Amino acid sequence: MPAELSERLSANDAALAARVACGDPDALGPLYQRHRGSVYRFALLWSGSAAVAADVTQDVFLHLLGHAEDYDAARGPLRPWLLGITRNFAHKRTGVDARYVGNDEDAEDADAPRLEPGPEAALDTQRDLARLRAAIAALPPHFRDVLVLVELAERSYAEAAAICGCELNTVRSRLFRARALIARWLSASDAKSSAAEG
Amino acid sequence: MTVGTETDLDRRISALKEAVADALPPPSTDRAVEAAIVRAKRAPRQAARARGERWLAWPLALAASIAVLSFVVRSLPPEAAVAPEAKPPAARAGGDEFMPVVPIADIERARDALVVPARLPRMTLAQLGLPINPARAADAIDTELLVRRDGSVLAVRFVY
Repeated sequence: MPAELSERLSANDAALAARVACGDPDALGPLYQRHRGSVYRFALLWSGSAAVAADVTQDVFLHLLGHAEDYDAARGPLRPWLLGITRNFAHKRTGVDARYVGNDEDAEDADAPRLEPGPEAALDTQRDLARLRAAIAALPPHFRDVLVLVELAERSYAEAAAICGCELNTVRSRLFRARALIARWLSASDAKSSAAEG
Repeated sequence: MTVGTETDLDRRISALKEAVADALPPPSTDRAVEAAIVRAKRAPRQAARARGERWLAWPLALAASIAVLSFVVRSLPPEAAVAPEAKPPAARAGGDEFMPVVPIADIERARDALVVPARLPRMTLAQLGLPINPARAADAIDTELLVRRDGSVLAVRFVY
C-alpha cells in the first residue's frame, strides 16, 4: 500500500476513533468493517479456534466502543493498537496471563505436541495446514504472539515489540525460537506419518 | 514432505496465510457489534439526561435550603428575635464574641435580627471573610448566626 494512502487511512481511523470517543457510536461501524478481518484472523491463528476468535473479535470492538479515548493516534496507527487488544483478549479467553513470560530456554525443551489432523483434513494440503495450526496453537503464548504477528499478520518487528511490550531483539529471538520449535515438531510429525504409511 | 529447511516452513506458513486470507467473523459477531452500537446510541442520551438532572440537583438543593431557612426565620415568634441593642451578642456566654460580616451600621439598623444556631464547614466561614485554619478547612464547627428575617447573615460567633 502506498505510504500516502496508508497515512490517509490512518488519519481516517484516528478521526473515526475520536468520534467514537466523543460519544458517536456510529463511527464504530466503519472501523469494524475495516478491521474486523485482521482482528478475527489474528485471534483465529493465535487461538486455533473459530469460536474463540469470534468471541475475541466481539470483545475487541466492544472495548473500542467503551475505551476509544485510550487510543492515542500520535503513537501509531489504529490496527496495531487493536491487535494489541486482540492479543490481550485472546490471552484472557484462553486463560493465559498476558503479563506472564515463560522461560524461553525451557520452552524449547517442551515435548512435541500431538499434531495429528482431524478426519476432516482428508487432503495432504489440508493435513499440512491442520498440523501447522496445531503446532502454532501448541507454542508457548509469548512465542505464539510474535510468530502470528510477524509471520501471519505481517506486522513489523517494531510493531510486534510494541504490541507485546518487549524489546525488538526479544521479538527477533522469540521468532527464531518459535520457528525452530515448529520446524522440529512438524518434522517429527511428518516422519511419524511417513512411517505409518510405509 | 519434511520441514527440514526454512523454505519448507515458509511455504507452509504462506499456505496457511492464504487459507485464512478471506476469513471474517461470523454474522453473529457482526450482529452483536451492531446491537452494541445501537445500545450505545441510546445510552449517551440517558447518561446526558442523568448528568443534566445531577447538575440541576445542586442549585435546587441550595434554593430549597435557603427557602427552608427563610421560612424558619420568618415563622419564629417575635420574642425569639434578639435586637442587637437589647442584648449585645458579645455578652453571651459559652463562645466568642459575634464577629460582624457586614458593616456595623447595617447591624445597628437591623431591628429584627435573630440568633440561629448552625453547624457550618469552616470553609463557609472563610467565605464570609472570617479567619480559619486552612489545615482544617473541611471540618465543621458549631456557630450561632445573627441573621435578618430575609435570611442574610449579619454576624457569626463560634460556640464551644
